[in-house]
Amino acid sequence: MIVYDVGSLGKSYPGQAVPANNNISFQVREGEIFGILGENGAGKTTLVKQMVNLLAPSSGSIQLYGKSIKHDSLHVPFIVGYMPQESLALNNLTAGEALYFSAHLRGHSRREALDERDRLLDRWQLYDLRDRHSSQMSGGQRRLLRLAVAVAGASKVLVLDEPTNNLDPQKRRMVWDNLRQLNQEHGTTILFITHDAIEAEKIIERVGILHRGELVVAGAPHALKQNLKNKLRLEIAFEPGQAPLLRADLTLRRLTRTRWQIYLEQHQLGDVMAALDIDRLTDIKLNSATLEDLYFHYVEAV
Amino acid sequence: MSKRSRARSFPVQLVDLVLIELSNWRWCWRSLVVVGALVPLFGMVGLSIYARDLGPQALNTIYSGSLVMSLMLGNLGSIQSHVVFMRFQGTLDFFATLPIHRFTLLLAIIVAFFLISLPALLALLIIGSALLKVSLAPHPLLLLVIPLCVVPMSAVGALIGVNVESPQQGNSLSILTTFLFAGLGPVLFPAERLPEILRLIGEINPAARAASALRQTLIGPLDEQIMLDLAIVIGFTLCVLFLVGKKLDWRARHRL
Repeated sequence: MIVYDVGSLGKSYPGQAVPANNNISFQVREGEIFGILGENGAGKTTLVKQMVNLLAPSSGSIQLYGKSIKHDSLHVPFIVGYMPQESLALNNLTAGEALYFSAHLRGHSRREALDERDRLLDRWQLYDLRDRHSSQMSGGQRRLLRLAVAVAGASKVLVLDEPTNNLDPQKRRMVWDNLRQLNQEHGTTILFITHDAIEAEKIIERVGILHRGELVVAGAPHALKQNLKNKLRLEIAFEPGQAPLLRADLTLRRLTRTRWQIYLEQHQLGDVMAALDIDRLTDIKLNSATLEDLYFHYVEAV
Repeated sequence: MSKRSRARSFPVQLVDLVLIELSNWRWCWRSLVVVGALVPLFGMVGLSIYARDLGPQALNTIYSGSLVMSLMLGNLGSIQSHVVFMRFQGTLDFFATLPIHRFTLLLAIIVAFFLISLPALLALLIIGSALLKVSLAPHPLLLLVIPLCVVPMSAVGALIGVNVESPQQGNSLSILTTFLFAGLGPVLFPAERLPEILRLIGEINPAARAASALRQTLIGPLDEQIMLDLAIVIGFTLCVLFLVGKKLDWRARHRL
């Protein structure tokens, strides 16, 4: 079932020559985790604000579960939990109060809302902060609370604007684990924006790459990677002052004083490994192409 | 975990939103009380010195006018800055993504600020009557008149809040509006002391009408003018709330 059907969407702001979104079309299916990647200013936040009905498109259409979002202003709030990138909403409420009121206003009974509050405080590691006001929390803690508030009330669809920004690695992992769990246990459809392509790859099922307001490509990462010319990434490190000698047809990219990177096809791997002076190597890493590689491939092709 | 949000009924939405607003302001309500009570109290004392020889009617006007000033300071200014804050800090966007109606949110803000302004009003009511030696004869209709005096001021505060382009502009406009309301008509000064033009403007000034209604239900005597006072106050409020609803940045306005 199609959850979101975005068709030829365009958004122009007055006084800006370049549209923030231009002719964007894609679909999000029920129960999938869809990630939107893009550089700063690519139009990601503008896109999701239109999808949660906070901004009106200049052209095109958005349907949520087959119904246009422009006719019924409560259609989106009934179905979608939204986490904005930055917001001071509920800043003077405690974490517990913010979660309780959000769950209650989204349709839970008083008892259910209290249970939901406790469950979310626990799941998002906010229990120790339950009596602390949002304004007294660190940036990362506030982000976690905003995430939990978006989840409160068990929305069928979550739209999250950079859910892991400002979080330490441990908390980022917790966020991805929780989102995956929500998706697997409750079938929650999740659409999120991120800069963190490598970590997002752990949970992303389909990805859309946005560049200068246009959707460059959308699809499953493994399918898109088939279009990459060189699917393997080899990183090698030598002692200072020494450089690898490789075949002329392979492009070496110097990462640091002692570290190089090579993109190559699977069939080239044997030749490259044979050409390397293994005794001089201090480190070696072989990866298949990542979402980040995918991102650069498609963006550089534009 | 249920999979579909259900709309809460209007009273439940309202109670939740009022509680959210009150919780948001619980840390600074004291300063609102001080501003709402002390400023009009000083004004009341100053004006009463000037009006001492003008008789009890003039003192009654100063007294009721000061109560209206307190409501204006406690509601018009605070709601204006609150709405501006909500617009510029993303709070309004947060509420717009919840399954609630915008008029419920507006009403919740007005109710919350009314409750916050009550202690200042009560303090001024008691201290003022003692200072000015005004003898009170409260009519039961007062319980309706006090909230009705608050709503037009709150609605004007919200109207300024949804229209201004910056918080600074909002503050200047709300101060200007407060003084215009207080000065254009018999709010703080007896009608017979005002020039004809101000008396005429006062006929449609909701602050003057609110002061008149307060005077009649708090001090007496109550006459048929109260109906006209309340009709003008309610009519003005409905017009302003309609404009606020039209202008409020609330969810997308599709023009496709």
